[in-house]
Amino acid sequence: MAKEGGIYRLMATYDKRWVYVVLFIVVLGPLINPIGMPIGISALTKNYYAQLNTLQEGDIVFDTWNMEFSGYMELKPGVLATHKMFIEKGVKLCIAFGHYEGVALPGEIFKQLQTWLDRYDYREGEDYIIIGYVFPNEAAVAALAQDFHANVRVDWKGNSIEGTFLDDIQNAGDFDMISDYTTGLATTYMINHMVLQYGVPMVENSIGVSVPGHLANLDAGLLTALLASTRGGAELEYLIGSPGPGLKSMDAFTLGHYSLMIFIIVGNIGHYGWTRRTGAKDRTGIK
Amino acid sequence: MNEFLQFAAVVVGIFISFAMYTTLYGKPNPLRDWAEFSYLGAATGVSIVISLTYIYNTAILGIQAGDWILIFSIIFGLMMLFRMHPDYSHVSRLPLAFTVGTGLALSLRTQIFTSFIIQINATIVKLWTGVPLEFLYRLTIAISVITILTFFLYTMELSGPLLWTSKVGEYLMYIGFGGIFAQTFMGRLGLFVGYMESVTTPSWKVPYTLASAVICFIAAIIFDRTGLGQKLSAA
Repeated sequence: MAKEGGIYRLMATYDKRWVYVVLFIVVLGPLINPIGMPIGISALTKNYYAQLNTLQEGDIVFDTWNMEFSGYMELKPGVLATHKMFIEKGVKLCIAFGHYEGVALPGEIFKQLQTWLDRYDYREGEDYIIIGYVFPNEAAVAALAQDFHANVRVDWKGNSIEGTFLDDIQNAGDFDMISDYTTGLATTYMINHMVLQYGVPMVENSIGVSVPGHLANLDAGLLTALLASTRGGAELEYLIGSPGPGLKSMDAFTLGHYSLMIFIIVGNIGHYGWTRRTGAKDRTGIK
Repeated sequence: MNEFLQFAAVVVGIFISFAMYTTLYGKPNPLRDWAEFSYLGAATGVSIVISLTYIYNTAILGIQAGDWILIFSIIFGLMMLFRMHPDYSHVSRLPLAFTVGTGLALSLRTQIFTSFIIQINATIVKLWTGVPLEFLYRLTIAISVITILTFFLYTMELSGPLLWTSKVGEYLMYIGFGGIFAQTFMGRLGLFVGYMESVTTPSWKVPYTLASAVICFIAAIIFDRTGLGQKLSAA
């Protein structure tokens, strides 16, 4: 297999499917047998935690699940830890979805929060209301921000929202905070039509791919706090003293990152060693 | 019965996910197609139901409550369906134009602030605030913005100091791309780790996860070696 170029060629041209096999092993191993590697708490997460702590009992939070089921897998630690804080504080939640797959999420999320719901007697209809899929496009977000009750009359089960804590909401400005969990669906629209227009503080729990973009919004003051990916969720779990899926995943994360670094180093050594030995000018070592 | 159904859904879900992962093997196989089409079918079904529910909750209930202007939304929505008929597809242009127009208007009104003016305001800030680390951050942002902007000066030949600043800008962009790639990898790994965490917790799922992974992996190899993958695959 190595032929001309020896070990260097092998290092540069090994079958890329080995990367998947190694990643599968280094992720699965620590999840089954956790190692317990240490983690630090970033300034971003400390700020997110501090912002959530500004909420008082009875405050109404617009809790927007702008994620598909796949995105939820990455955001799960942050979603669960944030909701534990909301439940503990007695915050009222108006939950909306930005994707039709959102309908599968309440069952999954509240099942995992059952202990907390029971402990604080936190009930649907009284403490939280799920208004369902309400963000198909920007016009819908803008309309809802302007006149809440003209756009939302029933919850996701078809029950009227009249006579609930949502009577206090006339427009987006009546929410005390927006807590968004996003893979990038209606989040920009919400920043445009709720934050910019009504000045509602918005905290964001974002998937890793979107973090650089949201950092700019945080810097510009459009977001008040940002929780970055699973890592942020794990840090929040640590801060609230309730270990969950995030902290459990951190070993797998760390080993996954180490393996990528090793693959990059091996590939580069192989490429340069191979091209130097053979005098080849071809810059594409990967087959 | 209910518990058994939940158990079956979890086990089938795990198996379908690993069937989907066989795409990483790089060769066509019917297992992956089955998983993919199952997802597409289920997702389409759910999206239709949810969209109809949205129309009912927003438009129909709105009209019943006296918001008669929503009748136009229903008419426009129905006109959109004419796209499916080649002879009458032109009817759908009106609601499409209306949708594009309102979308643009809504977007332009706000985007100019959130993506442009406010972002520029956030960049033009006092460098020294009394905190050395903050000074370093702000200085880095200021230098990066200025040097990278000079890299994108196209209307003149870059020479002298501008050539140097554009070079610095170019390398700063490389550093930025590296940072974004690392963040992207973390995000993609996060999806995978999150999924793997969900199929290994609680621990009774572990044997089903491992069995599904092994079965799907072996099946992908067999389909490849026997040539059945190519023959039976829909692709």
